[in-house]
Amino acid sequence: MILDTFEALAMVAAIFAILILGTTHLRTNLSFYSLHTMAIAAVTAWIASITHEDHLYLVAAGVFIIKSCSIPWFLNSVIKKINVGTDGGAFIAAPLSMHLGALMLGLSFMISQQIPGLIGEADSRLGSTAAMSILFSGVLLMLTRRAAISQIVGFLVIENGIYLFAVTQTHGMPLMIEMGLLLEVLVAVMVAGLLLFNIKKSFEHIDVSQLTELKD
Amino acid sequence: MNDLLYLTALPASLALLSLFIRDVKLTRKLVPVLIWWQLGIVALVLHPCLINGQRMEFTSGLAVDKMGTYFILLATFVVSCCITHADYFFAAAEAHGDAYEDQQLRLFYASVNLFLLAMTSVFLCDNLGYLWIAIEATTLSSAPLVYFEKNKFALEATWKYLIVCSVGIAFALLGTVFIFAASQRGTLAVPTLNISELISQAQTLNFPLLRLGFIFCLIGYGTKAGIFPLHTWLPDAHAESPAPASAMLSGSLLNCALFGIWKVSSIINAAQPHSHVHQLVAILGTVTVVAASLLLLRQHNFKRLWAYSSIENVGLMVFAIGLGSGPLFFLQALNHSLAKVALFLLTGNIIQASGTKKLNKMHGVIEDCPIWALLVTLAAFAVTGAPPFGAFVAEMSMLSLSMTDERWALALIMTVAIAISFVAICAHVGKVILGPAKQGFKKFQPIRASIIPALLVLGTLVLGLVVNTEAWSGPWSMIK
Amino acid sequence: MTSINTDAILETLVFIAIFLLLPPLLVGIIRKTKARFQNRIGAPLLQPYFDLLKLLSKGETISKHTSWIFRSTAAINVSLLIILAFLAPWTSLRPFNLGADLFLVIYLLALTRFFTVLSALDAGSAFGGFGASREVTLALLVEPAVILCLAAIGSVSQTSDLGVAFSFNNIALANQPGLWFIAGCGLFLASLVELSRMPADDPTTHLELTMVHEAMILENSAANLALVEYAHFLKILILLGISSQCLLHAIPFFWHTTELILVFSSLVSIMILAASIAIIESVAVKLRWTKLPEFIAYSVAMSIFCVFIALSKNLN
Repeated sequence: MILDTFEALAMVAAIFAILILGTTHLRTNLSFYSLHTMAIAAVTAWIASITHEDHLYLVAAGVFIIKSCSIPWFLNSVIKKINVGTDGGAFIAAPLSMHLGALMLGLSFMISQQIPGLIGEADSRLGSTAAMSILFSGVLLMLTRRAAISQIVGFLVIENGIYLFAVTQTHGMPLMIEMGLLLEVLVAVMVAGLLLFNIKKSFEHIDVSQLTELKD
Repeated sequence: MNDLLYLTALPASLALLSLFIRDVKLTRKLVPVLIWWQLGIVALVLHPCLINGQRMEFTSGLAVDKMGTYFILLATFVVSCCITHADYFFAAAEAHGDAYEDQQLRLFYASVNLFLLAMTSVFLCDNLGYLWIAIEATTLSSAPLVYFEKNKFALEATWKYLIVCSVGIAFALLGTVFIFAASQRGTLAVPTLNISELISQAQTLNFPLLRLGFIFCLIGYGTKAGIFPLHTWLPDAHAESPAPASAMLSGSLLNCALFGIWKVSSIINAAQPHSHVHQLVAILGTVTVVAASLLLLRQHNFKRLWAYSSIENVGLMVFAIGLGSGPLFFLQALNHSLAKVALFLLTGNIIQASGTKKLNKMHGVIEDCPIWALLVTLAAFAVTGAPPFGAFVAEMSMLSLSMTDERWALALIMTVAIAISFVAICAHVGKVILGPAKQGFKKFQPIRASIIPALLVLGTLVLGLVVNTEAWSGPWSMIK
Repeated sequence: MTSINTDAILETLVFIAIFLLLPPLLVGIIRKTKARFQNRIGAPLLQPYFDLLKLLSKGETISKHTSWIFRSTAAINVSLLIILAFLAPWTSLRPFNLGADLFLVIYLLALTRFFTVLSALDAGSAFGGFGASREVTLALLVEPAVILCLAAIGSVSQTSDLGVAFSFNNIALANQPGLWFIAGCGLFLASLVELSRMPADDPTTHLELTMVHEAMILENSAANLALVEYAHFLKILILLGISSQCLLHAIPFFWHTTELILVFSSLVSIMILAASIAIIESVAVKLRWTKLPEFIAYSVAMSIFCVFIALSKNLN
């Protein structure tokens, strides 16, 4: 299997997403997320150069600026202000969830062979494998971590996985929609970050497993 | 393009103004008037579609057909009613001694206007990508509304709302990508996200990919609508927000998400009518109704009670979509919105007057404030689908349509579930209304508080008496 | 009888000279880089040689509670590591091919650890005891990573002979930069733990309670200590050598160059890896004992990725 460059980059992004699972140290998570998004921006730019769809260059630049630089910077400043260094804990130990994430990579390889309509395009299989494993890593991150910040990072990783899927399978959705998506994610993260301040102020912790006051 | 400007200019500028007007009392009086004015503008701009039923196209990707027009009018109407009542709500809070801060109120009005803008844009979308962006925008603009009270419960509710809805919508994005891929790999190989183009080319799309996309969109938009088992955010969010906001969330936000499901469902219906995947929708609707009616049996919080009733009605609307009937979907949405808004506004009044949300601490409203008690009873009957209110007509038509479609089991289960929910709601409401008068029930301007709810209840009554579904399925037919 | 091949004899002599004399230089590089990082001049590069010579001339003190295990472990370790230096593919200069089976290499490494642990327990001190237990715990966690990385490489080339797998004539592994790079990263992280460097263990600590490896060799003195230190230096050479070979194999340039450049770059890359260990030591902190499995998990994850890559190649 000779790897196309963009597939190698997509796998690098998938590996970084799995490495995010391996630690509960929040700043390390954000640096891995930043590198992971840079790999995805590189994939977009590479596909743009192959398929000559110039709007993808703009999208790659947008992904780099917004998702790779601004969002991690914003979340870093939130972490500093609320003074939380590491995740309180995880329901599954961090190394175990990382191994699970690695197993999900194998699982997504098998699943990507089953997606109807995409079989037969041998060069896009690794791209969809990477995208699905990033999706799974994001879901694992959201389910197994207790700090609210990790849930935000998990959501961002899920979005990255879906975006990578779109880029490798369909060579990107129209420009307006991609830009709207990026803006939306930025606003969502800012709203969530502001909410996080208030959670820390009211509850004195950001442990979502303890947000169980509201029940029937 | 000008039409678009007319539709969106007023809410956008109001959002900005509300943040900066110093005198909050002025904002409280001004915004309702201007939103009613907006309703008039919307009706005027969209009247070609209202009268003739022709599709109006504003620009590529933004168009509105008859269903969209009716929904825009409904959403604007709901927001106007709630905002008008909100003035009373805040005045009552002041009279009871715990007034809200000016900054909170400014943020409230600004968010409401942004929320209206987002909802209008949802119904204007003819492009799946724009639809996704608009629905996510409604989530983001309604988050400040849920967080209004700024206490621990509101914080928790807002956090769950934001996270669960955003993740759900992310899955809808995956579905959208699959549908885009389906159009790219179909026989025509023209990639498009434009809904009308997709419907007209539906037979040429790659069906397995389309089916996969439909399932993910169903899961995604279903989370936003509150289908079981993705409904966990709904009771918290609708119960912890202030009464006018809960009314808006239940009355119009759920319609937006269901509109998304309706659009995707029409694509897959056009591709292959009566596909297995489409049968799934009606089953999901039934499961939601059953789950909601069972959960309604044990409720302790007045507002959560109505939130679960919203979930039940969402199930009914999804059932209507699953049967492929646009008119019934809209009819149920209309009746539900009118009744639910009335209920939430009245519930807000009662909770403010009694000072508690707990069902076991409320009793005797009929002695303390007979008019509220009467209206709550009527509205409760309306929302559960008792005759002669409008929801009865809609539900009867749905059940008879499902029987003509030979889905006996679903119809039977739905009937039993609706009956259970009727009994549950009547029991809970009965306990609140009847009984000895409560100490310390401080009602504030009860007549003024009853105007809007009374109007809405009257509306559902009129709909129930006047509307005849045979008359509906003729000129209102929205399926080709 | 074949004629005596002077080239082969020369190469063999150079090879033996390199592996006997290079290890202390590596340690010198590590210490010098660390010193420069801390903005001081530091000891001269060749200081480890002088230290070893100094130790050889000192008088020995042995606890009278020890047995033959303690007295012979140092020598056994050095012999085992010299055998390993002949077998393991730590450099591109291979004048002969002795058939280094993957499991033989790993078991030889494990055997050296076995004897070190025994000698630590033999001396009967508390520090030896807990150092030994910690070392064995870390080995338990890190060995799967090493084995899986090397096994993945072996399985792609359909052989368990590491010499064949690591040679630059092996077509099956010619175009796998991903596999080699990930294996190299995994092996490098694993060697950080096996060699008791940061962030697993601070080699310069004087506090016995924080020691892992040092605690085991506390009782040695004079000639034994010299041999033990030399054995440790040899282990550094071999493990860093294997990691650097993996990383070199990942770069397509090296598959098509002359042997001289290959040999030269393999030695230079070992020194670069040694310098990077020093940089890591200056930048990272020693992890708390309970956080170590998280760090080791990264190297295990790399090895799992290698296994997946190998599986996907074998299934195609």
